[in-house]
Amino acid sequence: MSSLISIQSVSKSFTKGKTVITPLDQLTLEVARGEFLSLMGPSGSGKTTLLNLIAGIDTPTSGEIIINGENIAALSRAQLTKWRSVHVGYIFQLYHLVPILSAYENVELPLLLSKMSRAERREKVLAALDLVGLADRADHRPSELSGGQEQRVAIARAIVHDPDLLVADEPTGDLDRESADSILQLLNELTEKFGKTVIMVTHDPKASAAAHRSLQLEKGKFIEDGHLLNKQPAEQ
Amino acid sequence: MLPFTYALRNLFRDPSRLLQTVGGSALVVFLLIAAVALTRGMDEVLSASGSTQNVLLVGKGSEESIERSEVPVAAESATATSVVGIAEKLGVTAVSGEIFYQAPVLTEDGTKGPALLRGVFESALLVHVQVRLIDGHFPSPGEVMVGHLAHRKLGVPASQLEVGKSIFWGNEELKISGIFVAPGTVLESEIWFDRNDLASLTQRDSLSSVTLRMDTAELEDIELFTFQRNDLELSAIREDRYYAKLSEFYEPIKLMTWVTAILVAAGAVFGGLNTLYAAFAARIKEMATLQSIGFGRVALFISLIQESLLATMTGTLLAFLAAYFLLDGRTVPFSTGTFTLVLSPAVILAGLSAGLLLGLIGTIPPAARCLLPKLPSALRSN
Repeated sequence: MSSLISIQSVSKSFTKGKTVITPLDQLTLEVARGEFLSLMGPSGSGKTTLLNLIAGIDTPTSGEIIINGENIAALSRAQLTKWRSVHVGYIFQLYHLVPILSAYENVELPLLLSKMSRAERREKVLAALDLVGLADRADHRPSELSGGQEQRVAIARAIVHDPDLLVADEPTGDLDRESADSILQLLNELTEKFGKTVIMVTHDPKASAAAHRSLQLEKGKFIEDGHLLNKQPAEQ
Repeated sequence: MLPFTYALRNLFRDPSRLLQTVGGSALVVFLLIAAVALTRGMDEVLSASGSTQNVLLVGKGSEESIERSEVPVAAESATATSVVGIAEKLGVTAVSGEIFYQAPVLTEDGTKGPALLRGVFESALLVHVQVRLIDGHFPSPGEVMVGHLAHRKLGVPASQLEVGKSIFWGNEELKISGIFVAPGTVLESEIWFDRNDLASLTQRDSLSSVTLRMDTAELEDIELFTFQRNDLELSAIREDRYYAKLSEFYEPIKLMTWVTAILVAAGAVFGGLNTLYAAFAARIKEMATLQSIGFGRVALFISLIQESLLATMTGTLLAFLAAYFLLDGRTVPFSTGTFTLVLSPAVILAGLSAGLLLGLIGTIPPAARCLLPKLPSALRSN
């Protein structure tokens, strides 16, 4: 299976006052195309920092992050913005939907960055909403949806432009068990039916168990013994 | 780019903040319109009042105030006979010896108001060529004619200064014989007396000034005359320069107008900025989310600019509506006369520019605060 993500000796550090903080220290990681990887660890272990680096939201202090053959650590902020618009879908714990826009309009946002016609956009948005089971809620505002539905809209927004990579920061952290399970099932479907690569940060062992592989981070490093291989990623 | 409707809908997220922004910008623009209209109105009326063809002969040392000037009565005929090249009409030389006086007068309804009084003979019409009688006739002894804005200076309704009505000064009753216009000049606010009447009422045996209209004569010729007749103790000044100097005299008042407008506007601007800060600060996470989706900072900045421009330009529109109903065409009396506030193209341009600048420059600091934080921390902001 080919590798979508190759992280080589990545470190991230910043200064706070006179103290240098290193949330990630010389990390190396390979993630296969179509893999569902979960990152676990206590607060401050560096898992969200790693997720942000993979998503092109942050840049490393040193090392290489090669995604789909491109070293995104070398891209400028503007280049990263453009790169994200094509290659990444980000799913947040608190959904981060735009409250004044309907579910349809929220999902449409990533497509506004491409040169699609209104009709093409409509087709894709409705397909994404249909995939997450919310085609009948297209005109609803976020305030008119439940937490689970909001997260589904956020997932539809993350996949509508067909990115290779989905990153999810505690996607079930704010949901009840039932909603959380359905979101995890949806993420699994995205890897298995559509070949998406999913990297998920979670505190929840049950959520982690839904992934193909789970890695434990502590103080900016992977714990060797914490590796779990739950199941094999789908064949491409 | 984000669709324009995003900016439009964001406006209505918080109606109270929208009201503050619109109201604040309306106040700033209205004050600016008022200040520009006021200073331009004053400047224009003073510059229109002076002609480059007219020369004022005033008493030496009184070049800045006709009121204080003393000119011998003999100076009028001496000027008419000695200076070559003065304009003439039907054989009458365009030289007008005048008495200028400021005093309160009483109208028939018992209102007493400050008035600008000018004692003249009919030759005044040869030098003040803008003056045109629109009703009645030139005043004979015991009569006056009034400028059509004199009522504004007196603070009475126009009906109190109609032909046939009277004004009172001391024990004297003076019948209004005519009404004149002199478009855009301070003369329109004056009350013109028969010169002999005003001389006896003010107990003056001298003139305030002699005004003459040049034809082929030049200022140097008239200055030469004043040197030759230094016994008359005259000083010559072109009428337009006299009014330009008078305009300088009002600079502190104009400055105060601006200072007051700027102080009030500054309060409104800071209030508006504070509102925008609060409005944008509440959306740091949303802006970060849009950036994480792939929208660039420039696109988001443009959307924020569109949003605040919509608010400030709505305020600007309201300011223009208020100015149209409250200011346009309104006459404002000042010590030398009366001027009219006009929403001229220059005033409109100043108001529009203020609205645009408020929307553009006022957005930069709060937008920067909203868009500049690093994405990871912005995504975690509350």
